[in-house]
Amino acid sequence: MINIISKTKYAYIFSGVLSLLCILSLATWGLKYDIDFTGGTRMVVKFANEVPAKDAVSETLKDLNLKSLTMQGLENNSMVIRYASEDDKTNVDVWKALNGKYTDATQSSVDFFNSSVSGELKSKSVSALALAIMAIMAYIAWAFRKVSRPVESWKYGAGAVIALAHDILITTGVFSLLGHFYGIEIGIPFIAALLTILGFSVHDTIVVYDRVRENLLRSSNKVPFPEVVNQSLNETLVRSINTSLTVLITLLAIYLFGGAAIKHFALALLVGIGFGTYSSIFIATALLVTSYELTIKYKK
Amino acid sequence: MAVVCGLIAYPQAVSKVPFLYDRFNKLKINLGLDLQGGFHLEYKADVSNIEPSKVAEAMQGAQTVIERRVNAFGVGEPLVQVSKSGEENRIVVELPGIKDIEEAKAKIKDAPLLEFKEEGPVDPQIQQMFDQSNAQAKEKAQKILDEVKKDGDFAQLAKDNSEDPGSKDNGGDLDFAKKGAFVPEFDKILFESKLKPNEVYKDLVETEFGWHIIKFIESRGEGDTLEVHGAHILFAKKDPSQYEQFKYQATGLTGKNLKSASAQYSQGQGLGEPEVSLQFDDEGTKLFAELTKKNLGKQIAIFLDGELQIAPTVQVEITNGQAVITGNYTFKEAKDIADRLNQGALPVPLTLVGQQSVEATLGADSLKSILIAGGIGLTAVIVFMLIFYRFLGLVASLALLIYTVMMITIFKLTGITLTLSGVAGFVLSIGMAVDANILIFERTKEEIRGGRTIANSLEEGFKRAWTSIRDGNISSLLTAGILYLMGTGFVKGFAAALFIGVVVSMFTAVVITRTMLKVIISDWIHGRTWLVGVNKKSIKE
Repeated sequence: MINIISKTKYAYIFSGVLSLLCILSLATWGLKYDIDFTGGTRMVVKFANEVPAKDAVSETLKDLNLKSLTMQGLENNSMVIRYASEDDKTNVDVWKALNGKYTDATQSSVDFFNSSVSGELKSKSVSALALAIMAIMAYIAWAFRKVSRPVESWKYGAGAVIALAHDILITTGVFSLLGHFYGIEIGIPFIAALLTILGFSVHDTIVVYDRVRENLLRSSNKVPFPEVVNQSLNETLVRSINTSLTVLITLLAIYLFGGAAIKHFALALLVGIGFGTYSSIFIATALLVTSYELTIKYKK
Repeated sequence: MAVVCGLIAYPQAVSKVPFLYDRFNKLKINLGLDLQGGFHLEYKADVSNIEPSKVAEAMQGAQTVIERRVNAFGVGEPLVQVSKSGEENRIVVELPGIKDIEEAKAKIKDAPLLEFKEEGPVDPQIQQMFDQSNAQAKEKAQKILDEVKKDGDFAQLAKDNSEDPGSKDNGGDLDFAKKGAFVPEFDKILFESKLKPNEVYKDLVETEFGWHIIKFIESRGEGDTLEVHGAHILFAKKDPSQYEQFKYQATGLTGKNLKSASAQYSQGQGLGEPEVSLQFDDEGTKLFAELTKKNLGKQIAIFLDGELQIAPTVQVEITNGQAVITGNYTFKEAKDIADRLNQGALPVPLTLVGQQSVEATLGADSLKSILIAGGIGLTAVIVFMLIFYRFLGLVASLALLIYTVMMITIFKLTGITLTLSGVAGFVLSIGMAVDANILIFERTKEEIRGGRTIANSLEEGFKRAWTSIRDGNISSLLTAGILYLMGTGFVKGFAAALFIGVVVSMFTAVVITRTMLKVIISDWIHGRTWLVGVNKKSIKE
């Protein structure tokens, strides 16, 4: 049996440092929001032969005085052009200008969000996240209502929620870094990824907690709580790692082969689910033991 | 059941039996716009001019008009929906399989907006807006006058500030003019206030045009031939009645009341002007009769696409439901307008507020790559399961294949639209589907190590793992449900696939695996623990 619980200190240090870095990155660089949240247009243009230089394209669009115009080359002779826009006339003008100069070019995709739509998406995303967190907390509280010895059931809930917050924080922090260094933007898919991570991470934590509950009911009072937790962790360790591995395998397949449109979504899930597994093993259960030890100390 | 599902998912298997093949091949997965190409447009309808009780009717009218237009494309199955988002009334248009995005959009935008308006009191809010801007103009005028008085350069200030396009470039110079050439208030200052040459009148002078700073330069002649050379700086006053859109108020009569339109030459002597003749439907006829009766001697304005076409004064009450629009058209223009109107005229102005569009080949590329990713993912998971759980893994892999086939069947039968994110959710759910199997098998391994027989251990494994499987999946279902309710296209597709995936996988991983194992496992497996990936040495005696 591996004594995982005794290594708690290192997990705390590792997670603490990582969380701090994420908070720092979020505070200094923030997140780069995609047009679904800021409003604007994202146009993917496919050129006949090769993608022209960015300067040439921005020269073509100069007269339109586009705000926050960015361009990025893609595979297969395409370029994604983003700009702020409030009405569709801008899109028509942009395409007229581009098609006038590059007559063989075609529009592969156009996504346009007026500020009223993007504002709505933003508030919807926030409420979905809030709703999901509340629903999961309620569910955890319900699932662990019966366990109360020697750690009160709400502490299970709190442990699971802290682990969740940890996963979400790290995923967001990683995307803040990616946004700063590689210009990766976050939009609706990122929110969907966060919600999925929420569900998955809790799923993992619940399986471990379930085993703790079962072992507590079976074991006599003489076995110390940390030992029960450690035994439960060991029993579920292979399962936790294996189920995450199968999910990570499929995500990696999507990330590598699934195409550009879905790549960053898969990446967010990879990061979140990876850390979700780590946190249910090392953080969520460790918190149970720590809170148990703190109570003992306090009583003495 | 598995066989039927298999046939639905992969009809080519019975391609030699035409009767069955036809039946199964007809079922197709409903691909999302991002996979087959197409667009999703969201229009905001401006209903501020429509009575609240008639909004729903007007929106329906707009929906019908757009439906008629997009049906004319003849591709795919268009979807036109009225939706409400908070206070906003929206129309959502979805068109699959479109090659040229801009052209299709132009077709929809081409739907004419026809409105009949009457003269009416100006909206107090708009009036207030104008009052405010006029007050600002006056304030500015006073400021410039003060500057002029303090030896400012009159000509330069006129050039920079005057809103009289005729004179500003000459420094406000109006040249010599006789009495009566200007509006009375203006005349009075120039001819009667006895200003000295090059003197600027001390106050601002208000006329119908706005506020003037007036300068007397010189005069010549006497009596009837007296001419004054003056200059001015104008700060224009704005009035809502100068603007068509503020002068006229909406009536209940719009494009939705139109029955038909045609181009013709106006009646009268000689060859008349080309015009568009309109015939209202019953309701429109009634409305038009009321409108003309109410506005006898006043103007009724006809707006097409937000522009005033003609505002004739009503001579008699019109009860036959006919009206004409004239507007210096050529016959061809009149005919084009009539054609557009005949395809349906919008009762409310629409503005595009959101668009997601994917060109068909890009959609096909996306589909190809996500399917490849799915295939690779599925294979990798199967390999993984075989390595870790050997024989049990083989059974789980079979269950996983059945899972995949069942999912495809469900998508085909229910007609749920499968978007790119949906396929991604589906692929992800393949990874999650074996989760229950892993839970059970790990538990089984433990029980074997604890000294039970393989068959017993399996039974125990299924039983004991169940609470974990249930509790874990409930949290996944919860978030998938919330994701689905959140409701935008990307999220919805993903959430639906994930939700169905979790439910189906619980069934395949628990029920199907168990049934298969029950049938296959008997005494022969006794003692062959390597088949389930358990090292004999680890078993407790």
